[in-house]
Amino acid sequence: MTDAADGGRSGMSSTGPMRAASGELQMRATFRWYLAHERAILGTLVVMLFLIGWEGLERGWWADLLRPLLGASAERLQLKPIFISSPTLIAAAAFRMFFVTGEIWRDLAWSGVGYVLGLGLAIAVGIPLGLAAGWYRRFSYAVEPFLSALNATPQVAFLPLIVVWVGTGLGERVLIIFLLAVLPLAINAHAAVRTTDPRLVKVASSLGAGDWRLFRTIILPSSLPFLLAGLRLAIGRGMIGVVVGEIYGSAAGIGAMINQAGARFQTDKVFVGVLTIVAAGVILVEIVQRIERRVDVWRAPA
Amino acid sequence: MAIPANLELAAHGERRRTSLARLYLEHERLAIGGGTLIAVLLLWEALGRSGLVDPLFISSPTQVAQAGWQLSHDRDFWNDVEVSATEFILGYGAALALAIPLGLAVGLSKRLQYMIGPFIDTLNAVPRVTLLPLIIIWCGIGIWSKVVVVFLGAVIPILINTQSGVKTSEARFIRVARSFSASRVKIFSSIILPGTVPFIFTGLKYGAGRALLGVVVGELYASTAGLGHMIADAGNTFQTDIVFFGVLLFMATGLFVVALLGAVERRFEKWRPDPR
Repeated sequence: MTDAADGGRSGMSSTGPMRAASGELQMRATFRWYLAHERAILGTLVVMLFLIGWEGLERGWWADLLRPLLGASAERLQLKPIFISSPTLIAAAAFRMFFVTGEIWRDLAWSGVGYVLGLGLAIAVGIPLGLAAGWYRRFSYAVEPFLSALNATPQVAFLPLIVVWVGTGLGERVLIIFLLAVLPLAINAHAAVRTTDPRLVKVASSLGAGDWRLFRTIILPSSLPFLLAGLRLAIGRGMIGVVVGEIYGSAAGIGAMINQAGARFQTDKVFVGVLTIVAAGVILVEIVQRIERRVDVWRAPA
Repeated sequence: MAIPANLELAAHGERRRTSLARLYLEHERLAIGGGTLIAVLLLWEALGRSGLVDPLFISSPTQVAQAGWQLSHDRDFWNDVEVSATEFILGYGAALALAIPLGLAVGLSKRLQYMIGPFIDTLNAVPRVTLLPLIIIWCGIGIWSKVVVVFLGAVIPILINTQSGVKTSEARFIRVARSFSASRVKIFSSIILPGTVPFIFTGLKYGAGRALLGVVVGELYASTAGLGHMIADAGNTFQTDIVFFGVLLFMATGLFVVALLGAVERRFEKWRPDPR
């Protein structure tokens, strides 16, 4: 041990102080580079480790590796693919479903129709309702109890009622997506009007602006960021509705596909479905964020 | 003589009206809110009784109350309550026990955040109820699959809020404390932790909503007992009054949990000076 350390030290001194100094500089530069990119490096490393660990569990790498140590009980470290699948199996399933059989496009279209209708209905009802509740005090007194009670309820509990009312099908899916998405929209619109700068409103109305003028030139521009934030929340809630609405024997759709794949232990397909929903959500939220940035261009930096 | 008396009477009437008006104005919120609520209930009852709409579809407030009364004598009902409550408490408790310490740690240590951040962000983007089919493969259709989905639903908002609470601690306070050579433990316990409490409670409230959602969806999806199971069963057999009663129970639970958390939060925040 000491020998090796000695050898190392003597080896370094023999190369001369110049070399050592440049080596140290190099190391320091490397370290600085690491610090600058620490987030990306550490993040990628841990994610890679996680994926490799997952893949290894399915392929039995860890069982093979630890068999000499643990003996027969190492077999427990190999899990059946129906249980956890693996990153490569999921990628293969995704490739097959998107580009070979193309089966997922039909599900996407099916769910997409319900989602667009439900979210559209939620926007058409939630935003005007919230704006009106924010503007007319008495109206807000009337609807507030309903909004806050509904907001505290897990809205999914209404699903059996919706099925009794409209049966299973497009109407049921649209209604449950609507119910989940409408509350964040209405509540944010309400808050948006409430937080409008009252000085602006007072100045405009003392200069003779009517309700419509006030709404168009002051309330709407100043509430837009809130409305878009509500829309982002509603997008995520709507995604829950897509899956939950298809619990009850839907013929097609991403949620139904996930349920059927789960019932048949096709774990890789379940993961593909979940990831597709995540991707759709992320893309939609990204679009809204783009709009948010564009809309906010005129605003003076705070 | 008659004229002043008349005048006085008129004035008196006027005063009475203004005091009534004042009473109304003071409680306008309650009056309008309660009035609307009662009007809606009456309309609902009338619709159910008049036969304009089949009571099979909409039931009526009295029928819902009756169903609730009958259920309260039903042993199965109390079993359902017990199962749902257990799922909620175990899942939410586990989420709370993991997310608060982990959120504090992730907020304090940059490196830990770099390592765990990608996983938190990914899980946050996933609607956790979509994982139900997987969770059922892993844990079966008994109580544990619901505990896991409740846990997954609640853990992310609590974690994210706790972390951002630590991140937004007042940097000036920390610098002052440090220049008075406060130890790291002292800084944590007297500056960072108290500053994070409101964030933690925001996360807890969000998490409670997510946890209730998990209970309902989990039980609608596949279960053998629980209030969600009761609602789904009643829906399948067109017992609309029981469905409504179940929904009301979930509503009451949601309101109660949020109110309870609010009360606990006020307790924790008592030391804070009133900003107004």
